Amino acid sequence: MARLAAWLKYAVAALISLISVFPFYVLLYLALSSPSRAIANGIAWLPDFRFRNFADAWNVSHIGMAMANSAIITGCSLLLIVALASSAGYSIARFAGKFNAAVLNTLLVSMMIPAIIITVPLYSLMKSIHGINTHWAMILLMAANAMPLSVFLYTSFIKLLPREVEESAVMDGCTYFSAFWRVTFHFLRPVTAAVVILSGLSIWNNYAQAVFFLQKSEMHTFPLAVAMFFQKYGAQWNLMAAAAAIGLAPAVLAFLAFQQYFIKGITAGAVKG
Amino acid sequence: MTLLRSINNRLHNYMAVPAIVLFAVFFLYPLARGIGVSLTDSNGMTAPHFVGLQNFFDFFQDDRAKQDVRNTVLFALGSAPLLNLFGFLYALLMDRPFRGKAAVRTLVYMPAVISPLIMGYIWYFILQPERGFLFRMLKPLHGGLGDMDWLGGSNSALIVLIAVNVWQYVGMTMIVYLAGLQSIPSELYEASRIDGAGYMKTLRYVTIPMLYPSVKINVVTNIIGSLSVFDIIVALTDGGPGYSTESLSLYIMRQLYGSQTGYSTAVAVILFVIIIIPVAVYLRFMKTREFEM
Repeated sequence: MARLAAWLKYAVAALISLISVFPFYVLLYLALSSPSRAIANGIAWLPDFRFRNFADAWNVSHIGMAMANSAIITGCSLLLIVALASSAGYSIARFAGKFNAAVLNTLLVSMMIPAIIITVPLYSLMKSIHGINTHWAMILLMAANAMPLSVFLYTSFIKLLPREVEESAVMDGCTYFSAFWRVTFHFLRPVTAAVVILSGLSIWNNYAQAVFFLQKSEMHTFPLAVAMFFQKYGAQWNLMAAAAAIGLAPAVLAFLAFQQYFIKGITAGAVKG
Repeated sequence: MTLLRSINNRLHNYMAVPAIVLFAVFFLYPLARGIGVSLTDSNGMTAPHFVGLQNFFDFFQDDRAKQDVRNTVLFALGSAPLLNLFGFLYALLMDRPFRGKAAVRTLVYMPAVISPLIMGYIWYFILQPERGFLFRMLKPLHGGLGDMDWLGGSNSALIVLIAVNVWQYVGMTMIVYLAGLQSIPSELYEASRIDGAGYMKTLRYVTIPMLYPSVKINVVTNIIGSLSVFDIIVALTDGGPGYSTESLSLYIMRQLYGSQTGYSTAVAVILFVIIIIPVAVYLRFMKTREFEM
């Protein structure tokens, strides 16, 4: 009976792994197939390993530039998010006050508001600050969008850290402000990893806002470039898939690099709710 | 000097200021303006006039909008429960020891890493009739599931959208449940074992009640996420066939492109109301549950 249960456990685990990777298999299969094999009738389980697809997709699209744009926007937004959200979370978690309570409540309620409501007025705002088709405005916008969730995660995490973490630094003459940057901040690695993964991915993958505010093709981010590519070369599935696979790689690698801290980082949020 | 010192000593109370200022400029201010725009006939060309609640009355006459509300709600009713059910079951499995667990967990989470737009394209490659991967894969079997034009029928297209969405984000709900499971103190399981409770009883009276905070986060984020679904529909069905899988967000976006800014913003406000009602009801319900415990 126990053996059967163990077998079942492995069988289910194998099944859900297969289900999860199936579309990735399809993507790589198409990305490595010649045009005829990608769309031909009947199927071979292995592609014909046409690595040229990647070079071709890279050359006919502007996916390289788009990835550079995405990297600039994602990287700068993340720096801003980590700096602002961690300090806000510290202040809210440690120093109760009307202002801090109001900030937290505002951010929590805002999580329920779909970003699409603000698209029109945001567009006129972006226009009046000359932010359309610029990196800096998109960075500020993406950082602002990530603020509610990030502050919430930092706040819940810091609440679970013992106060002694910074108290000794304060004894030694630090202010609470500098004690945070010198001491507490270094204890926040797990939650920072969670924030970097969650907001980093949503910025890298952002389409709904980029499509409005980054219309010039030199400013396109990766999802916009793939959408454009799909309109132009939609019939060439192998090139489409290769282009998509190129853009997925950084997201997948970044996730693999940060994931070991990930669960720890969201635990505080999941437990304190 | 003393002034500087006293500012420096109180700085820690105001460390949330930069975050909230940034948020206010790029979210709260446009939000307030947006509610104003929804009361006008703004169309991006002529000067806007105040029209009161006219846009909202128009909404209730708009058959396409009503159809989109139905699509959006059906999508959410399919997605949110399934995401939570599978996320919970997956997490229960991942909470037990077995070899290769970390790898399985990573694989299950992996789809959530990918942009929903790209994911939509991949499923499009899989599900296209004649050329699609599924069709070709199942061809030797002649007929059946592979021959179906999944994206061509309005009901099957909606089912596909729900399935793809659940498939993509189940890892996310799983991780939150897993984080909750791992923080349950082992003494509680110990106590329940000593009291002679079996697996199902422990699940019912220890595990699930202890998971309420995770349930709350998952249910709320899934309701919000699925009611404002957008990218995946753009890539997979583009709202078709006809308008049968058009979501409210997609409709809002299309009205915006059609320069119906006043009206589309009003529809966006309605979408917000559609989101806030189930969330508020649910949070209320959870509050009474937690109180009982």
